[in-house]
Amino acid sequence: MEKFRTTDRAAAEELFNACYPRLAGWVRRLVDDDDTAHEIAAEAFTRLLARWSSLDNPQSYLYMIATNLVRDHWRRAGRERRALRAVSAATHGDPVFHPSQDVDVRALIQSLPDRLRQPFLLHYYAGFGVREVAAMLGRPEGTVKADLHQARSRLRAALGDSDA
Amino acid sequence: MPEPRGELDTWLNGRVEPLLPPPGTFERVSRRARRLRARRALVAAAGALAVAAIAAVAVPQLVIPAPGTGRPASATGGLPSAAAGPQHPATAVAGSTPAPATAGPPVPAVTPAPPALSVTFVGAATGWVMGQSLPAGQCDQPAAPACIVLRRTDSGGATWRTVRAPPAHGPNGPTGVSQVRFLTRSDGWAFGPQLWATHNAGRTWTQIATGGLRVTALEARGRRVFAVWARCAGTGAGFASHCTSFTVYSSPAGSDAWAPVLSPVAAAGPAGGAASLLLTGTTAYLLTPAGSLFAGPLTGASLQPIQQATGAAGKLPAPPCPSGSPQPDGQPSGALLAGGPPPGLDLLCTGQSAGGRQRKIIYASSDGGQTWQRTGQAPAAGTASFLSASPSGALVLATSLGIEVSTDGGATWLAAGGTMPPGGFAYAGMTTDAQGVAVPAAPTQHSVWLTYDGGRTWQPSSAGG
Repeated sequence: MEKFRTTDRAAAEELFNACYPRLAGWVRRLVDDDDTAHEIAAEAFTRLLARWSSLDNPQSYLYMIATNLVRDHWRRAGRERRALRAVSAATHGDPVFHPSQDVDVRALIQSLPDRLRQPFLLHYYAGFGVREVAAMLGRPEGTVKADLHQARSRLRAALGDSDA
Repeated sequence: MPEPRGELDTWLNGRVEPLLPPPGTFERVSRRARRLRARRALVAAAGALAVAAIAAVAVPQLVIPAPGTGRPASATGGLPSAAAGPQHPATAVAGSTPAPATAGPPVPAVTPAPPALSVTFVGAATGWVMGQSLPAGQCDQPAAPACIVLRRTDSGGATWRTVRAPPAHGPNGPTGVSQVRFLTRSDGWAFGPQLWATHNAGRTWTQIATGGLRVTALEARGRRVFAVWARCAGTGAGFASHCTSFTVYSSPAGSDAWAPVLSPVAAAGPAGGAASLLLTGTTAYLLTPAGSLFAGPLTGASLQPIQQATGAAGKLPAPPCPSGSPQPDGQPSGALLAGGPPPGLDLLCTGQSAGGRQRKIIYASSDGGQTWQRTGQAPAAGTASFLSASPSGALVLATSLGIEVSTDGGATWLAAGGTMPPGGFAYAGMTTDAQGVAVPAAPTQHSVWLTYDGGRTWQPSSAGG
């Protein structure tokens, strides 16, 4: 088994200290729950450190993992929410929602297809440039730009519809 | 009304508040990463060995099975064994709750014979091959690490990749697995003798409790999976030998809700026997060691004894031979059952094998097993190991010498051409009327053989990963 060298450990700890707070905060805005945010951020770092020596751009990899973990969390939460809603509807009538601006936009982002959601989150939310996002996703820059444009258009249209 | 663009931008530009890690997070993450690296290293090592063992299995342009049947064309094999002697009639045993295998008289050890490759396809492109990552005789040791390896193709066999296999070793008495079946890309099972299931394309495997019973056969079709759960005492690779009772359990394919659909049927005699499971059309069949035939719908309702019709002239009122002793993969050696176009059934009754020759009589039923009629005799050369029927009813017989094909119900046979492997085949099955796959009997032959001309010629697939 490959050993985790001391120099690697120091570099990894440095990256952890530098990136964890922002990554966890980024995740928290997407999941709205501190515990889940820590869980996802820690898991992303675990996977990063597990293949530390083979990565050219650890930070990109970190956010890619986190994006996928957030997506998985949304899917699970969506299933639980639907199940809960079904029970609530059967016993208490319509469920009570507490809308907030964050949740409304987030719900719309969740509804984007993977193809659009990934570049959207990485670019607009995690702060990666178009070129970096293109490299992370293995897509041409032009495609990423078009996807970003399409995602924004969809979200704006949806927000407009919801306000109408 | 808020301006849509403003709302979106406000959200996007919202400040990300840093969230500091709880104390000890980095250390915890580092420990988990080390464990993950260790697991990956283990998997990589197993994968490298698996490449040596089974990467040669490439199935270019393989089309299995016929679209719409939902039944994976599954191949598995083992060394063919001699035909069994006659068995006594079966008797029903009350109760259906599985009980642990009981310790009976001492059972002679079976010479270890590693199983042949097991192959299953769920469509033109997607299939799995099960093999072992350790040399013969090592993977079946109880103390062996998880050494079952599963490789999947989504390109009709052009490329293979290692996917997660159940954490098991090779078959050894009551433990281990030897065969694989998938019904869909998600739902699959590893069995023989233990039973494992996956419902997420192999990402996770769950062992199914069988109460000490051994799973000696498993097939899936439509929306359900059926398996033979047997009480056996065979040791080593002979996990399916010395079985004293058989029952059939079934479960919806997407879950692990196994329930009996047949009360246990006894196999008289200390040597036990083997039971054959066949799913055709909308019917599940079980041929017991004594030659009794049970049938039931694929909906999961109980299997019932076939109501035997009065034998008309030239017709037999029951399957004319016992299923005999098991081959290493659990399949019978004395009565090989195949499903023709529904409700047709074909049965090969074998005699004792001597001097490389064996009597092989073909019977056919056109009424779902109520009556049987002798239709022909296969060449005596070689020992029979597997009989299958193509969608249009052509019979393909795998033997210790090669493959025989009959397009007239067994009246006449044609020896298939091509390069035949030493030891012949453990399995040969037709996916379509033109295409089929065969698995060599010898575990040392790490390839599958293919036909594209209705079984007339077979060639090994080209090596490659």
